[in-house]
Amino acid sequence: MAGACSQNAPPDVQGEVEDALLTVRAAEGDEDAFAALMQCHAPALIRLATRLLGNRSEAEDAVQEAFINAWRRLPEFHNRSSFGTWMYRITTNRCLNVLRARKPVATLEAAGDPPAPEHSASPARIAEARDAVRELREALDLLSVEQRACWVLRELDGQSYEFIADAVGISQEAVRARVFRARRCLTQAMGAWR
Amino acid sequence: MTAHTDPSDAHSGSPHTDDTHTGDVHDDERLPCGRLLSQVWDDWERGPADTADPHLRTCPHCRRSVRGLDELESAVRDLRDETTDTSAYDTTSLTQRVMDVVRLELRPGRPLSLGEPAEDLWIMESVAARTLRAAAESVSGVRAGSCRLLPLDISDGTGGPVVEVSLALHAPARVPLPELADQVRGRVREAADRELGLAIGAVDIRVTDLIDTTADSQEGETR
Repeated sequence: MAGACSQNAPPDVQGEVEDALLTVRAAEGDEDAFAALMQCHAPALIRLATRLLGNRSEAEDAVQEAFINAWRRLPEFHNRSSFGTWMYRITTNRCLNVLRARKPVATLEAAGDPPAPEHSASPARIAEARDAVRELREALDLLSVEQRACWVLRELDGQSYEFIADAVGISQEAVRARVFRARRCLTQAMGAWR
Repeated sequence: MTAHTDPSDAHSGSPHTDDTHTGDVHDDERLPCGRLLSQVWDDWERGPADTADPHLRTCPHCRRSVRGLDELESAVRDLRDETTDTSAYDTTSLTQRVMDVVRLELRPGRPLSLGEPAEDLWIMESVAARTLRAAAESVSGVRAGSCRLLPLDISDGTGGPVVEVSLALHAPARVPLPELADQVRGRVREAADRELGLAIGAVDIRVTDLIDTTADSQEGETR
């Protein structure tokens, strides 16, 4: 069973079969099956939540809440989608709520900047790239919660518009519009700081 | 929603004049060449195949708008790489915290009576199911899924209750299923009797998947 772990990508038929089996067991109250599912899916969800929220500790809290929520709702789940897709949706929603609850001021600089280069001898290209990433992180805070979420799922997580629409619970057209606005805002913000 | 208005030179037309392309993109922008920014970026996103459109290759306005996106993309790539590294993420403490909550929560479930009516002894269905699944999985290559226990309105010889078991299995491919099912039934009955003291009526088995075990021969080892 080790290694039979289906996350969103790459698709793994055997992993999905194993997931479906573990999901049924967990829905019937098998805690060990749930723990196995969690070990499988937690890393991808932590990555997703870190990208959405901008820092690891909030991401861990969000994923923890998402799993507890999932455990409570499992009896009504009935394998309508894969466990991984379902968890992705629950985690996204949880993160959206966290972002909405943030005070606007608190989000600035909350993104946990990467440590500054320690040696001035670092190649210029690396320093430049880091600056650009820092600018991008800051610019992300200018976006609305919904724009940020759609943009992160599209650009950092590489999801399709269809998938994002499903995960966020809005139409594909609305997702496209948000990603467009986000790109617009980000290109302008990045351009202005050059 | 925060509105980030355009630089003034970008307005050659009303942003509201043509929304046919992307539905509710209200703050779209019409480039001086007449194209909508959202359309140009859409083409960019679809990839190089669309550069077949000669306008996109030659129009300075379109090219400039795409260059901004390209620059953004390079920072995005670095940020993506920076946030990708969770492959080595240790799930132990997260799993522990969640399971601490999960184990404290009572799942509504069916209690099954054990022993004689006068005895007040019960076991939760989910707990009994765990034992029976493990028994089924002691047959090589078998994985147990759903396991439901249904109390029957009959009693065994001593007046104790009888339950019917409904078990879903993933069975190994290329193994005769009737024999496999008999083997599983035997193990389930034995465990019910020996470990739980539960009298079992029928054991219904549904094979929900056949697993080709040639690919991974370590299968059958359960946690």
